[in-house]
Amino acid sequence: MSTGIARARLGEERKQWRKDHPHGFWARPGKNEDGTMDLMNWSCGIPGKTGTMWENAVYKLVMLFPEDYPSKPPKCKFTPPLFHPNVYPSGTVCLSILNEEEAWKPAITIKQILLGIQDLLDDPNPDSPAQSEAYLLFRKDRPQYEKRVRLQAQQNMA
Amino acid sequence: MSSDSDYDDDVMNEFDDTMDEDSILDDSDDYENSLDDSGDELEYYEDGEDLNFDGVMAEKHRKKLYQVDYTVQSAKHLMGSQDKEVGQVASILGMPKEHAATLLRHYRWNKEKLIERYMDNPDKVLRIAGVVTDKVRRIIPAREISTPQHPFSCDICCDDEEELETVAVSCNHRFCRTCYEHYLRQKIKEEGESRKIECPQDGCKIVVDEKTVQEVVDKNTHLRYRELLNRTFVDDNDHLRWCPAPNCEFAVECHIPSTSLTTIVPTVECECSHQFCFGCGLPDHQPAICPLVKKWQKKCEDDSETANWISAHTKECPKCHSTIEKNGGCNHMTCRKCKYEFCWVCMGPWSEHGTSWYNCNRYDEKSSHEARDSQTQSRASLERYLHYYNRFANHQQSAKLDQDLYRKTEKKMEEMQQTSDLSWIEVQFLKKAVDTLTQCRMTLKWTYAFAFYLSRTNETVIFEDNQKDLEMATEHLSELLEKPLEREKIAELRQNVLDKTVYVKQRREILLEDTAKGLLEGRWTFFVDLK
Repeated sequence: MSTGIARARLGEERKQWRKDHPHGFWARPGKNEDGTMDLMNWSCGIPGKTGTMWENAVYKLVMLFPEDYPSKPPKCKFTPPLFHPNVYPSGTVCLSILNEEEAWKPAITIKQILLGIQDLLDDPNPDSPAQSEAYLLFRKDRPQYEKRVRLQAQQNMA
Repeated sequence: MSSDSDYDDDVMNEFDDTMDEDSILDDSDDYENSLDDSGDELEYYEDGEDLNFDGVMAEKHRKKLYQVDYTVQSAKHLMGSQDKEVGQVASILGMPKEHAATLLRHYRWNKEKLIERYMDNPDKVLRIAGVVTDKVRRIIPAREISTPQHPFSCDICCDDEEELETVAVSCNHRFCRTCYEHYLRQKIKEEGESRKIECPQDGCKIVVDEKTVQEVVDKNTHLRYRELLNRTFVDDNDHLRWCPAPNCEFAVECHIPSTSLTTIVPTVECECSHQFCFGCGLPDHQPAICPLVKKWQKKCEDDSETANWISAHTKECPKCHSTIEKNGGCNHMTCRKCKYEFCWVCMGPWSEHGTSWYNCNRYDEKSSHEARDSQTQSRASLERYLHYYNRFANHQQSAKLDQDLYRKTEKKMEEMQQTSDLSWIEVQFLKKAVDTLTQCRMTLKWTYAFAFYLSRTNETVIFEDNQKDLEMATEHLSELLEKPLEREKIAELRQNVLDKTVYVKQRREILLEDTAKGLLEGRWTFFVDLK
């Protein structure tokens, strides 16, 4: 992982993604001002799992890759910020595989990250709350929590 | 024993009632040969005194109750003991050393536990510790494992050149050598990780063993890795503790279990001469046991200044005991909490004051007396705390000032050498006296924390007597050391300082011995939970 491998790896990630990716997801690098591809900044869409209250919607997310990727994980941020116990008010996702001091490994792919976040949607981790609103409703008023999630799904209808 | 007798004589005369001869001899060698007016001590011992000698020596070498057994270990020695442990386990379990090391680290160097669990269920132990013992070739050129259909491609950098070298540990997750090395270097140098670096594959819990690390990373990173590993050997081992002194690289081995800390204060002294508690790592705090020290420090952090201020500036509501500061207005107080109305001056109920609104002449009435009495009681506990705290803080402060004394003393020692015919070695007694003084202040300091939590019984009287004696002796010595040097009185001063030093030291030992014995016998009762 000498310097400059971030772009090579991301180019390869893009190639793999175009070859094959899970149904309903999308992920593509952004554009620089001059129209060239910005591999360090991807926009993605994560569909809610069928059979959960997150279904029939796609949640938009950006992935920001640091220069020392894949030594360090990308930052994943829902735009706009998502109502979810493990999403910070800024939209940033709090997930162990996205933390270099926890479970991040350089071999984790973009596909794995997106699938991991999809799993998190309907299976929040109450041990690491990132926003009080969703966390408190999740803990104390489940019907109200579910109502908010469904409303959010409608707003993000696929 | 050549130097023993001449000051014995003096000390005996002066402190006859407090000690016996044995206990004085017991400490004599600290004086080294600073007093070597030989001759007369032979006569002194000739009249039968030396019959006592064996007993004295036995007494001298007997371990004191407040002392614990320990050894100081250097970094090199630690490496040795680590290797020994690993070698032993490797041979018992019949596996390569690097895997035995990973297992031991997982079990925090508790060899017995590891072996027992391993014999019980080896697969489970290997799994949770992240070890696969299958033989694997760590480093293989990419072309050896590539086939035309499946060329090797590194999942990290996506490079697929045939010239690549690949690395994997026993889980066989292969990456190119450059990526593997970068990953390890990142973990070691930036994250300070060593004992549990996992394979770079997502979700793989296999630990990269030390042999692989050694083969893959550069020399510099490997040195750092060894250093970190050695550090964890001490950090993880319950019987080892690093000396907390700055820049000191020694560790102390001591086999006092953490469960004994309510009855023993395991003070140890490092090679660097720093004295600290093996139980908690704080500087020596004998005679107070670790749980009390912890409680006391917390209490002092929380309370001291606040308590002082409360005591000086406030009174309590006679009814609900809320603390009230009067910052102006008349003496007719209405407690904001319980709405009780009372007089600030006499603390009696306001209803009895009738129309005398702005002054109080009812100080001696019964009801105001009672109100003040109950306040006195609740203030008493605050004052009790301040009593102990002030004495504690005072010794702490004095010990700090003793550092200046140290410098002054060094000057004095030079002066002495110039103005008298004493040699360098003969003026060392001054330095020793200052050392003893500082040590006694530390002990005294902690006796107040100890005493604060002590429930009052008949035994506490003995403790307080010992404390008082040490307190007095320490002050005497301190005074003596502050005295300006008078040329014609140097010999006398020297004798005095020597005597006092022995005595003070003795008093300290008596106190520590008695408290340590009391702890072991369960003679002391504390009014706080030691858990």
